[in-house]
Amino acid sequence: MNHRHLLPNEIDLLVDEESGFGVQPLREHVRGCPDCNARLDSAKRVASALSEIPLIAPRYGLEDRVMSRVPVFVPWHVSARDSMVQWIPTGRAARLAAAAVVGVGGTLVSSLTLWIATRGDLVAMITGLAGEGAQRAAADAAGDLIVAILGPQVVTVVQQLGSLGVGLAMGGFVVASFATVFGLKRVAASTRARS
Amino acid sequence: MKPVSVLDLANLPDADVVALAQQGREPAYRELIRRYERPVFSLVYRMVRDRELAEDLTQDTFIKVLSHIDKYRSEFKFSSWLFKISNNVAIDHLRRRQLDTVSMDGSPHATNADLTDATSFELPTQDETPLQELEARELGSEIERAIGRLRPEYRACILLRHVEDKSYEEIAATLDLPLGTVKTYIHRARHELRKLLEHLKEEGYDIADEPA
Repeated sequence: MNHRHLLPNEIDLLVDEESGFGVQPLREHVRGCPDCNARLDSAKRVASALSEIPLIAPRYGLEDRVMSRVPVFVPWHVSARDSMVQWIPTGRAARLAAAAVVGVGGTLVSSLTLWIATRGDLVAMITGLAGEGAQRAAADAAGDLIVAILGPQVVTVVQQLGSLGVGLAMGGFVVASFATVFGLKRVAASTRARS
Repeated sequence: MKPVSVLDLANLPDADVVALAQQGREPAYRELIRRYERPVFSLVYRMVRDRELAEDLTQDTFIKVLSHIDKYRSEFKFSSWLFKISNNVAIDHLRRRQLDTVSMDGSPHATNADLTDATSFELPTQDETPLQELEARELGSEIERAIGRLRPEYRACILLRHVEDKSYEEIAATLDLPLGTVKTYIHRARHELRKLLEHLKEEGYDIADEPA
């Protein structure tokens, strides 16, 4: 038997029921040493008393008190997923029908996309035609608007004067805009003063 | 996604409940509170030894943890994170209280007996309130009283080790202490508890019991 009494940390190893290398000789020593046995016994009693102390419950309603002060944060991807889930039917038949509709629709759209992608020249031609049409329609609409505002005679005069006419027309437009804004402000100020 | 019922939540491990809470599921928040309200309250109550204050600090702990649940990193155990925050909340309070403490025995700067008398005061005797009575019952056993006399750092270590059954490594991670320090604290705490409870053995009481 080893005649050295156990060190305090060695007693701790036995209290914690460690099983590592070197613990077995300590156990053997304790079996043959009444002094160390008593020390271990006392340490074990304290550890056992500690492990038996009960958990204590807080006052009822802690959960609600905490939750009333905690903001529940829902990440965007979760809320997006939740919104999508709302649209999924609950019945089995309805789900199958929805899946079929989505499947057919998806296949059609995919096929159309693939077909368009393989016809690059056709896409370019359609895009060009559509662009030209939109440009012409925008120019016509702008012309109509100018004629409606200034009258056909003024437009004819501007066209005859060329770039000078365009400059004069733009200057007149700016002066008219300022005069309108100024006039409106004066009207507003006098209305406020009267009220 | 199939909604998780409260019953299902109760059977899930912490990591899954936390993941659901991170997705903004309120029942998961509530499950975490239900799961840990007793352990956290017990730790905080035994640290500060005042029921009403422990209620407030426990509430603060859960508010802190759940408000920052998105910052929780899953490589740590959730319980370690929670106990770390509750211990910090309790220790912070104890430190503040230490700073606010006023001596009843008069000013330490008093230079003579008259000055000491002039700066000392007596607390009026009060009957025990129901809350104090409850506290006396809950923390009144010899072992609880002995725990209350330990230094706060020792108290936290010994409670996590024996009440929460945490390993030394977990305690070190929870309290942000080196492993060696944790071992030393637990060893000293046990030693002090043995000394504090020695008289009971001599008187023939079991240390977990309250002497008549």
